[in-house]
Amino acid sequence: MTPGALTDERDVRDAYAAHAGELYGFALRSLGDSGLAEEAVQETFLRAWRAGERFDPQIGSLRTWLFAILHNVVIDLGRARAARPAVAEGGVEPSVEPFDEALLAWQLEEAMRRIGEQHRRVLVETYYRGRPYAEVAAELGVPEGTIKSRVYYGLRALRVALEEIGYDG
Amino acid sequence: MTAEHCREWRQSLGALALGQLPEAERVALEAHLEGCPGCRAELASLASVARLMPLADPERFGAAPAPPAALGKRIAASIRSERRAQQRRRLRLRIALGGATAAAAAAALLAIFALPDGGSTPGQQVAFDSLPPGMTIDATLQPHAFGTEIHMYVKGVRSGTLCRVFLRGTGGARLPAGSFRYRWGEDSQAVLSSALDLSAARAIGVRVGNQTFVAPIDTGGAAGNGNPNQEDA
Repeated sequence: MTPGALTDERDVRDAYAAHAGELYGFALRSLGDSGLAEEAVQETFLRAWRAGERFDPQIGSLRTWLFAILHNVVIDLGRARAARPAVAEGGVEPSVEPFDEALLAWQLEEAMRRIGEQHRRVLVETYYRGRPYAEVAAELGVPEGTIKSRVYYGLRALRVALEEIGYDG
Repeated sequence: MTAEHCREWRQSLGALALGQLPEAERVALEAHLEGCPGCRAELASLASVARLMPLADPERFGAAPAPPAALGKRIAASIRSERRAQQRRRLRLRIALGGATAAAAAAALLAIFALPDGGSTPGQQVAFDSLPPGMTIDATLQPHAFGTEIHMYVKGVRSGTLCRVFLRGTGGARLPAGSFRYRWGEDSQAVLSSALDLSAARAIGVRVGNQTFVAPIDTGGAAGNGNPNQEDA
């Protein structure tokens, strides 16, 4: 048996403690339904445990492996949902984003949660709200050059956070 | 060109990557980039992040939703129940009487007849050994008020082969427990039942085509008190 393989119930418990939050956050982001997201996370850990002996930490991180399993689970759930008859009158079927796009979006959102508030703030104000640097600088009571440098260091921090959570683009 | 020299330029690379740099500054910075591989590499690194920015939803930058507290327990419970089922399959006695003589069969039963002590879970695993190469039979027995539930897995015989299952009681009588057909490539697990109480069952057999295979059932509890049966297969 490979050392580090995910064969014990305790291994699964540890893996759950370390990664369930992210997996659930992503499943929810991707499936848009908390019930389905729970189902997806449960199925992911079950499949991981069943295949536990094949997990080899020499090859890749547990996190990457779990996300790969979740990927398949989400696709299966999406298929099952697509196979269901049309939604009842008035119901709106939630649109399903392509998996890769959803994963990238979730990764960036997760990275945003991990960087400092100052950095996140200037990125939100200048990029997402499209506000001029001068306006944001006045609001925060800092020189305009500070906004520029926070945008720079904010992007760098995002880059580091993204690498932490497995983005390799 | 040293990083120190580029410090001033670097601070503008974020704004450039996000398309926020005023025209005049952009032109000057691009001129610098022409001759500075270090700054170009830094820009490329920032650009790979900037590329993702339009995908994200700033409404979701707040606290991440946490999974419900019960989910971990639910997963642990489903793994436990699956593991128990798996253990039942693994705790096998590899006994089969295929073409063996009755005497050799009895000796084989005596020799191998003992279930590991850990198998105190409700379902009981039996297994058949000395099968023709490539063939597998496993059975799990579950006691019920109505009698015994039998899950049987057969693999490796010709598709369509009729399999007739029976239990042997304390008195040695065969009680038919249903039949199924092995279908290649399909789920080969059959679920059958018999009115015979599991505690009164001494052996389980299956006639596959024209061959009969039998495995003893341990009814001695943790002590593994074997009670081998003469078999006339």
